[in-house]
Amino acid sequence: MTTQRIAEPTQLRRIPRTIVRFGVSFVVIAIIVGAFLLPYLWMVSSAFKNQTAIFDDLNPLSWKVFLPVGGTIDNFVALFEKGIGLALLNSLIVAFIQVGGTLVVCTLAAYALTRISFKGRGVVFAVILATFMLPAEALVVPMYGVISGLNLQDTLLAVALPWVSSVFGLFLLKQAFEEIPMELDEAARLDGAGHFRVFWSIILPNVRTSLATLCLVTFLFSWNAFLWPLTVVQSPQNQVVQVAIAQSVSAGELPNWGLTFAGAAVATVPLILLFLFAQRFFVQGLASSGLK
Amino acid sequence: MHSGPIDSTPLAVRDLGGSSTLPPRRRSQSKIGKGALPALAFLTPFLLLLLVFQYIPLAVMARSSVLDYSLFNPDNATFVGAANFIRIFTDAETIQSLLITFAFILGVLILVVPASFALAVFLNGKLPARALVRTMIFLPVVTSSVVVATLWTFLLNETGLINSVLATVGIPSAGFLTDTTQALPAIIVMTVWQQVGLATVLFLGGLQAVPAELSEAAHMDGAGPLRRTLSITLPLLSRTTLFIVVVMTVFALQAFAPAYIMTGGAPQGTTNLIIYHIYKTAFILQQPGYASAMALVVLAFAIIISLIQMRLLRTRWNY
Repeated sequence: MTTQRIAEPTQLRRIPRTIVRFGVSFVVIAIIVGAFLLPYLWMVSSAFKNQTAIFDDLNPLSWKVFLPVGGTIDNFVALFEKGIGLALLNSLIVAFIQVGGTLVVCTLAAYALTRISFKGRGVVFAVILATFMLPAEALVVPMYGVISGLNLQDTLLAVALPWVSSVFGLFLLKQAFEEIPMELDEAARLDGAGHFRVFWSIILPNVRTSLATLCLVTFLFSWNAFLWPLTVVQSPQNQVVQVAIAQSVSAGELPNWGLTFAGAAVATVPLILLFLFAQRFFVQGLASSGLK
Repeated sequence: MHSGPIDSTPLAVRDLGGSSTLPPRRRSQSKIGKGALPALAFLTPFLLLLLVFQYIPLAVMARSSVLDYSLFNPDNATFVGAANFIRIFTDAETIQSLLITFAFILGVLILVVPASFALAVFLNGKLPARALVRTMIFLPVVTSSVVVATLWTFLLNETGLINSVLATVGIPSAGFLTDTTQALPAIIVMTVWQQVGLATVLFLGGLQAVPAELSEAAHMDGAGPLRRTLSITLPLLSRTTLFIVVVMTVFALQAFAPAYIMTGGAPQGTTNLIIYHIYKTAFILQQPGYASAMALVVLAFAIIISLIQMRLLRTRWNY
């Protein structure tokens, strides 16, 4: 009797609870899919439709809105005729300069700050740390002045160069370098290896994961940057892809939806594929980039 | 001078050690002394770029903020003293822009913090397709602000997807971006959509550091799941929460693409975010001096936020 009394209510409560939990999970997942996945599906499918088809599927709302039904590649053809290929290439060049530069400059600096003891290390670190507080977007006006002073305005180098000395990159690497035991390089130093040798053959091979993270996150930042390239580049042949898209939709004009969707898809889908393949690095890197 | 006697003792000891002929020790000491040269070689590229692209612009900005000139003719500048700063707090458009930016930041925070916390708790539990959900909410984080703004321009359009969905349930179409009362909230919602994935990942990191025994003990004492979340998990995550608040504030402060792409600051300046206002003032109205003064005010605000952040990172919180 007593055991039954206790057992019954728990048994009764347990079954609905799992159902409730399953139901709640289902609803939440449905909301997340609706809010986060469907807009992307709409973007990509609409890129394959002409203006009339896009509006036909929207009014009244049809399931076709999320699928490239009756697809056409006209938008993409027009996009490449308008020169999006060059903009993509420019973005790629800028990203390579920025990633390569960041890797070189930040690994060297991180080595000095973690492996060489010298007078004034604290001061140097403070000087670097202080810039950590400067919001990049607020510095655009004087930075444009500096770039003009260097006679670099309207070049791809000018788009990448100011971000190469990345404090975020330095911090990320400094942390990774600090995890390598000092005994390793001390042994190499005793064997007569110089600093550069230690840096190249002992430190760098041990921080491959952090280097990959830095590469991917820097690529993402570079590829997605907007205000600075908008400011520093004037001639159309040096335009990066984000600015090209922004100009096809900017306020006031009546945009060609299909064409703009195609541009957005071309700029985004490669990056999303990269993200899906290397998700771990992106999530870790971006979570720690909150530090900047 | 007054520190002389304190310093002299270790020096004397070191001298004794040096003169007592210990070759290896001497060598290592000289290497430390020599450290400055290789260190300089390794640090020069970074420091040089930092000087040119951070410190010099900072100096240029401070100088410009007391000048009146145009970018076409920068040599023809007149010194105006504090006039640019006074103008910030007397110019109705700038005051509105600062207030709008403040409301924008506040709106983003009020929505993104609870939403990401709920999502993190949800993702921390046993859940089918957990990794898939995390991937989906992280998609906007890796999407550029330009594409997000473009996509949302069409989503929020009077004939766009959101109005189309609303129409199927019988709600009349809304103007969103063209309505003075809806434009800013619409941009806030978009920014929350864009950033909630990052905040969720940060909360998840915090949640995984919370010891499970605490929650289990409360469970034994009869606390329900909601009670356990509110009274145990949330207080333990106060540091993570503050950190997320800071990161999101700095992000929202720098928002530019929504105003540039979606609204142009309209309707009636209700989405005229401060970075867009600065950009317009400098490059379209050709008043870089005034723009620099405004940027310095933004900078001061960002520095205060960052100091809070560093304080947070440095202090160890004990429970």
